[in-house]
Amino acid sequence: MSDTTLLVQMLLGALLGLSVYLPLACGQLSLATPGFYAIGGTVAALLSTRVPALGGSQSDYPLTSVLLEMGLAALVGGLLALGIGLLVLRLRGIYLTIATIALVEILRVVSLNLPITGGAVGIFAIPQPFRDPTGYALFSLVLLALVCWFCQRLAISRLGRAMAAIRDDELAAASQAIGVDRIKLLAFVLSALVAALTGVVAAHFLNSWNPRLGNFDASITTLAFVVFGGSRSWLGPVLGGLVLTALPELLRPVGDLRLIVFGLVILLGPALFPQGLITPERLAWSRAWLAARLSRPLVAAGVGGEASGPAGPSARGPRR
Amino acid sequence: MPPPSLLDNILQILLNGIASGAVYGLFALGYTLVFSVLGVINFAHGAVFTLGAYLTYLLIGGAVGSNGLFPGLHLPFALPYWIALLLAAGLTALVGLLVEATAFRPLRRFEAEPLLYLITSLGAGVILVNLMQIVMGAEGYSLPISALGSLPVTVRIGEAQVRTVQLVLLAVAALVLLLLTVWLELTRGGKALRAVAEDATTARLLGIDSAAMIRLSFAISGFLAGLSGGLVGLSLSITGPYFGINYGLKALGVLVLGGLGSVPGAVLGGLIIGIAEAMVPGDWSGYRDAIAYAFLFAVLLLRPRGLLGGPQETKV
Repeated sequence: MSDTTLLVQMLLGALLGLSVYLPLACGQLSLATPGFYAIGGTVAALLSTRVPALGGSQSDYPLTSVLLEMGLAALVGGLLALGIGLLVLRLRGIYLTIATIALVEILRVVSLNLPITGGAVGIFAIPQPFRDPTGYALFSLVLLALVCWFCQRLAISRLGRAMAAIRDDELAAASQAIGVDRIKLLAFVLSALVAALTGVVAAHFLNSWNPRLGNFDASITTLAFVVFGGSRSWLGPVLGGLVLTALPELLRPVGDLRLIVFGLVILLGPALFPQGLITPERLAWSRAWLAARLSRPLVAAGVGGEASGPAGPSARGPRR
Repeated sequence: MPPPSLLDNILQILLNGIASGAVYGLFALGYTLVFSVLGVINFAHGAVFTLGAYLTYLLIGGAVGSNGLFPGLHLPFALPYWIALLLAAGLTALVGLLVEATAFRPLRRFEAEPLLYLITSLGAGVILVNLMQIVMGAEGYSLPISALGSLPVTVRIGEAQVRTVQLVLLAVAALVLLLLTVWLELTRGGKALRAVAEDATTARLLGIDSAAMIRLSFAISGFLAGLSGGLVGLSLSITGPYFGINYGLKALGVLVLGGLGSVPGAVLGGLIIGIAEAMVPGDWSGYRDAIAYAFLFAVLLLRPRGLLGGPQETKV
């Protein structure tokens, strides 16, 4: 595998991490991301292989058609998320998580059995809008940057603060006239949109699509991105998605053991870093540290540097 | 022989459903025990199930397949099926303890939130599954029917032909359920376990070693997972290390249907889903795997605490 191919996978991983992060930002653990990812992938695979009009006249598949697929995938995924969300978001805690696992499995079984999605074999020869992985890397990077920008705007907006309030204490948030149900639903739909858009890109990039791509394993992997990177800022899932997607490839020299190492990471990670690698405290600390470093003349650098910034992060404390 | 009547067909389907449902119940009981004590779901449970099936297979003298680490290797002895099954379940009970020590105990020390247990137990499951894949290969295994010794392959009840295996599954599952219920309801240890499930802090104040009870629940849970693996391997082919993960996911449906944390609920849920799956007509068999999830979804929407579950805790 070339480095650029791996880079594309890492970027797509980061996007999926953000999809898991969005509902989690208001305290809802949904494992439905691979389901919506699969919907995006299937929509793209079907449209690009069954609708000749989208193919255009050039040898490359037109980018406008990809954007059109993305629009349609977002519509389908968003509407489904809206309907499902209205039903399942009444559930709390582990019940919600189990319901989303069931959703992913139902979608998988259905796509495994429908003739149009090609059964277990899936759909092949999905046309390519880009000739080499670099195009995909740029495209995914733009998509990731847009979603990150959106998440940053969200975090500092009124809505984002409402989400954080729900996450910390749903009852208290409701008593502050925060529309808890509406906001949870919105986060769920946003998560589905990100996953569906990622699915469209992935379908073209992978060149084929099959129901296995949206299974329980994918739920776990994407969840691991968020837990590893940290779920309290959007940077965490992005870092987790990038690193953990690359990890099995970097571990390729150890061969069959790589998935065991992956298992070890998610077995031991939460005990060592209960809040993930990136927490707001660590971010603030490193920002202060950087600012102190940059503002001081070079000669004085390192002198008294330890005194700046707030106290170190409380890594081991319980979140609530 | 005259073709079986409709009634016999129904009887056959029912018996098949009840047999596979009883094993579902047995397996889901392992989830329930841990859930009632810790309030979390152990996602390594499905991997332990496969391990139980594989260990049983090896202990009765089965050889490692051609994709495994040492193709063709087998133990120098071949145990009778029943001894192999119990021994395998005993070993998976130890693995259950290991899962507790690695995935649960470190987090319990700082009262981590339930989400993290989900991840760590899955991590333990991923490790187990991949270890099995390395040692045993990705191929399917099934226990030879001759494992049951001189029992006939099918038994006639009325005009219906029923596979003996199904009756064996049913009998063993019923026996284990009975023993477990008696233990939970009547013995000191069982009462202590239920006390910890009710309220761990109060139980501790009353002098119950709740850490030991948590370990015990994991050991029993591992035993049940291994036992159901060894039993299911008798009637179905274990199609690879991931088989148990899927089985474990379907059993979540059983768990939710019966009510999280309810022992009779797990059994009832298992029976209902087993029978429902057996009733799926052959033409639709591809959708059989979705039945448990459909039930799960419906129950969560209509009666989230399940058929026999207690009221959900609400924060005031």
